[in-house]
Order: sequence, then structure tokens, then C-alpha cells
Amino acid sequence: MSATEPHPWLAGALVPGRFGAAAGEPVRLGTRACELVQVLARRDGDAALQAAIRAAGGPDLPPPGHAAQGERMAALWTQPRGWLIQAGPDAGLARRLADACGPAAAVVEQTHGRCVFTLEGAHARAVLARLCRVDLHPRAFGPGRVAVTPLSEIAAVIHQTGAAPGFDIIVASSYARAVAGMLAAAAAPIGYQVGGDQMGGDQMGGDQMGGDRVD
Amino acid sequence: MLLIRCPVCAMDRPELEFRHAGQAHVARPADPGAVDDAAWAAYLYLRDNPKGVVAERWRHVHGCGRFFNALRHTVSDRILATYPAGASRPEVAP
Ligand SMILES: [Zn+2]
Repeated sequence: MSATEPHPWLAGALVPGRFGAAAGEPVRLGTRACELVQVLARRDGDAALQAAIRAAGGPDLPPPGHAAQGERMAALWTQPRGWLIQAGPDAGLARRLADACGPAAAVVEQTHGRCVFTLEGAHARAVLARLCRVDLHPRAFGPGRVAVTPLSEIAAVIHQTGAAPGFDIIVASSYARAVAGMLAAAAAPIGYQVGGDQMGGDQMGGDQMGGDRVD
Repeated sequence: MLLIRCPVCAMDRPELEFRHAGQAHVARPADPGAVDDAAWAAYLYLRDNPKGVVAERWRHVHGCGRFFNALRHTVSDRILATYPAGASRPEVAP
């Protein structure tokens, strides 16, 4: 299974179309196809990890609560000296980073271990606020911010990708189906759209939504 | 619900992301073989229970996963300060 294929756990969970409240502007709900790699600096490995990330086209590793976008990949802070690296599909990222880091860092492939949902639109903040307790007001949170926090009862990484606003919501793949249902239920009173304008027949909406980053 | 500021995440988070982990600044005897049973028992089992400000260990178990210390008033249940594990107890007005 490559990164561009939909997560099998999600089969049939997100169907293209418009759902929930019919009036007003819907939020857009989908998934993002990308490579994910968890990196953890080992003792005295910080400089070597940073050098490997930079050499691979990544950014300066961001401080707590922040994400940074590099030329070829983004880094999301998830814990002290630990980041989630996110890159385009099929980048073969984990292998290259592991080779570059050597013993300086623990590099763990997470592409299929996690699932990335996208939630975008003027009312995305209101939908997310039903499920998580982080202060999402623009004065407290904004593009490039990251929070590791439970979404309802499920561990999640929330990453604001754009000012629209747009959010990436990263959860364990085994919870993806539950989170898809949770997001749909939270978005229903506002109305939500799965998939783009040109809806394909056999593809999940998530693939059509997983295009360019908002930022 | 209490909002607790995690000094690692540098964000205010709800209490249910955290676990209480007992009294802070309890130092393990450097040489356990050199202390008598009473002193060892005091280290293991005896804890303060004041009415007022206490220093406690908390863990951001559903966030960054790290331990830190907090000053909490046992009457008002207000968290007065949070600070990194290993740092000395800050002065605060109760
Ligand atoms: Zn934390």
C-alpha cells in the first residue's frame, strides 16, 4: 500500500457529497495523502538530527507548539526533542532520514500508523471546538501552530495549516474510522462537504481533498 | 475544570489531560543503606498535608507526556504556578 492509497480503515467512511445542514457555507472534510515519520533525538543527537532534516529539504525544527514548513517537508513539534515529519506522498522519507541520522535519532515510519484528516472552511474552528478543548481563537492559536491534545477521547495532533482556517488532524490509523464519524457528527449542524467540485465515482473524497497545503 | 499551564507545551490545557503524581521535591536519600528504618519509611510514606499552598508533581499524560511541578492551593484548588521538574520552588503570593 502506497501513501497515495486511502487508508483501508476508512473505506466507505467518507463518501463524496454534501451532508448535514443544507444552508450556509459548509466546512470541507477530507484526508491528506502524505508520508509521516516520527523522529526523536537521542542523547546528544539534536545537532545531527537537525542536520539530517535540513539536508533532506526540511526546515529548522520548530519549538513546542509550532510547525515549520521546509522546502520538501514540514516538521510538527509533538514532544520535547520529538517531531512528526510530514512530506508529499511516496517520498521514501523514513529510509533517507534513518540513514542520515544514524544513531543520533530514533526514526519511525508512521505513514500508515497515522491518518491525516483535513478540516477547512470559515466554520472549521467551530467544528473542532466541539471536539477539543484547546483555545483555537486567532489570538491564541493560528497558522503554523500545533497542539498534542485529545480530540474527544482520542489522542490527536492538531495542526493549523492555514488562516482560512484549515486544520490537519492526525490520529492513529486504528482510530481513523471513529474520528471520521466524530468529525462528521460535529460538522453536521453546520454542514460539510466531502470531496471537491469534480466528484469522481470510485474515489473517496479524502483523496480529492488531499491536495495542496493551504499555507 | 482547572486550566493548567504545561511548562513544556507552554499552553493552558484542561485538567483532564493531566495526572496528579504526588508531592514534589521529595528527595531520595543519597545512600539508602546509611539511613535508619524510620528515615527510610518517612521518605517512602510520609507526606505533607497542609491547608494552603502545596508543591505537587503533575504529568501532562495526554499531551507531551512530561512531568512538571505545580503550586496549588488546597483550599481554593487554584494552580498558582507551574514550573519544570528539577527547578526550585518559585515564590508566589498565596
Ligand atoms: Zn505538555
